[in-house]
Amino acid sequence: MLAVEIKDVQKTYPNGVKALQGVSLSVEKGEIFGVLGPNGAGKTTLLNIMSTLLVPETGTVNILGLSALSQSDEVRSLMNLCSGNANFAWSLTIRENLRFYGMLYGLKSAARERKLDELITAFGLEAYAERRFDEVSTGTKQRMALAKSIINDPQLLMLDEPTVGMDPDIALKVRRYIADYQRRTGCTVLLTTHYMPEAEMLCGRVAFVRDGQVRALGTPDELRNKLNAKDMEGVFLELAK
Amino acid sequence: MIQRILAFAYRDWLFARRNIFSVVEMLFWPIVGMLSIGLMGNFLKLTRDQQAFILTGAIALGTLQVTQLDVAYALLHDIWSKSVKHTFLTPTGVVEYLIGPWLVGIVRGTVVFSLLSGFSMYAFGFYLPGVLPTVLLLVGLFLNALLMGGLVSILVLQYGQKAEISAWTFAYLFILVAGIYYPATQLPRFFYHIALFIPLTYFLDYFRTYYGTSAHLAAPLWRGFGLLAFLITAMFFGLKLSLARARRTGVLLRLSE
Repeated sequence: MLAVEIKDVQKTYPNGVKALQGVSLSVEKGEIFGVLGPNGAGKTTLLNIMSTLLVPETGTVNILGLSALSQSDEVRSLMNLCSGNANFAWSLTIRENLRFYGMLYGLKSAARERKLDELITAFGLEAYAERRFDEVSTGTKQRMALAKSIINDPQLLMLDEPTVGMDPDIALKVRRYIADYQRRTGCTVLLTTHYMPEAEMLCGRVAFVRDGQVRALGTPDELRNKLNAKDMEGVFLELAK
Repeated sequence: MIQRILAFAYRDWLFARRNIFSVVEMLFWPIVGMLSIGLMGNFLKLTRDQQAFILTGAIALGTLQVTQLDVAYALLHDIWSKSVKHTFLTPTGVVEYLIGPWLVGIVRGTVVFSLLSGFSMYAFGFYLPGVLPTVLLLVGLFLNALLMGGLVSILVLQYGQKAEISAWTFAYLFILVAGIYYPATQLPRFFYHIALFIPLTYFLDYFRTYYGTSAHLAAPLWRGFGLLAFLITAMFFGLKLSLARARRTGVLLRLSE
């Protein structure tokens, strides 16, 4: 079964910028799928459309068998998103912010508090749990954003530059956590990233987007072989030309 | 839905507790308004009923402003925190988004009303006409606050953050036209006709009949509650449409930047 099925999606912003020009994409359930491309390529627009935050002019977007355009409430309860440089209520602590989102996703009090403890431990947030969001470092904020993104046990997890701003050791831990989380839960993960080693480490397949169109699609090995590149960095440089 | 209403109430309560500005909103301006009106009444040697009539305006304004700010803050706090997209990524509807903070607003509004009324009784001989008229006035004020806070959210979703100024001006504008210190009949003809479309006009008028002076509008409670039912339904519908438009135009994402 397909987790994501997008057909001929077009999006032009009111200022005339054509962010997506006929994108079609399918992602199998249980895949970790990477969306790569240079700045302004349309990656984030694509994720925003899939997460129902943005509505395209044309095309169809099906998430887990539901239309993201006409069944958006149902879609929202099945997925979640973590974006780079995410912001949350500044004057609330990390735990209060997570509790707020847990409540929004309908978690009942005892189960919610258990979930909060589990996430705080999993993302190494114990020392910061009672500190206000505006008092912690960028890396800690990003870990909280990741914790928030799995608070509802999503069937589709979208990660938009999830390790941006993190120290390399923490970023590596987070990548391992994402891979492990996907293995444990079997959820589908959609990932955009600028770190090619991250795409190589995590993604089963990747799509390369440039100028609002999918320019290449395949496993990292397939793309490397096709473009005669020694790693994904080389693939990126070749396709971004 | 109940969980999400509680979530927004929980967040608004934490915002209110930690923000010194919200204490100023709750106490400073309403008390300044009530004191200045009470002292002016003393200076003008108003009768007890006349004094109660104008103090009702000051007390109603303080209560209305505090409650509607909580409703308007639902979206404004999300914008200031740049967390709009994370909130609307959840299966949240417009009803729970406003009702949660409104419940906190009712608590804060009740505190303001009690403080202002109590102090006015002590300092200026103010009196309340009875439990039922007071409860009906409060219900009217709180529902008007929900309507105004919702309108602020619609304007912000339509015109972006620059429209947030309406959060601090709406209550003053509405109550000015609804007859803050005078019966609505004292307004110029054009504004009097506008006042008839503002539900608050009817609640103030109903309450003030107990002080012997009012515009004597026919069936004020029926018309007040009827207008509120219509306008609040229209407001929620308008908010839903504004949110859908914000998703189409990208305004929802821009409010998170």
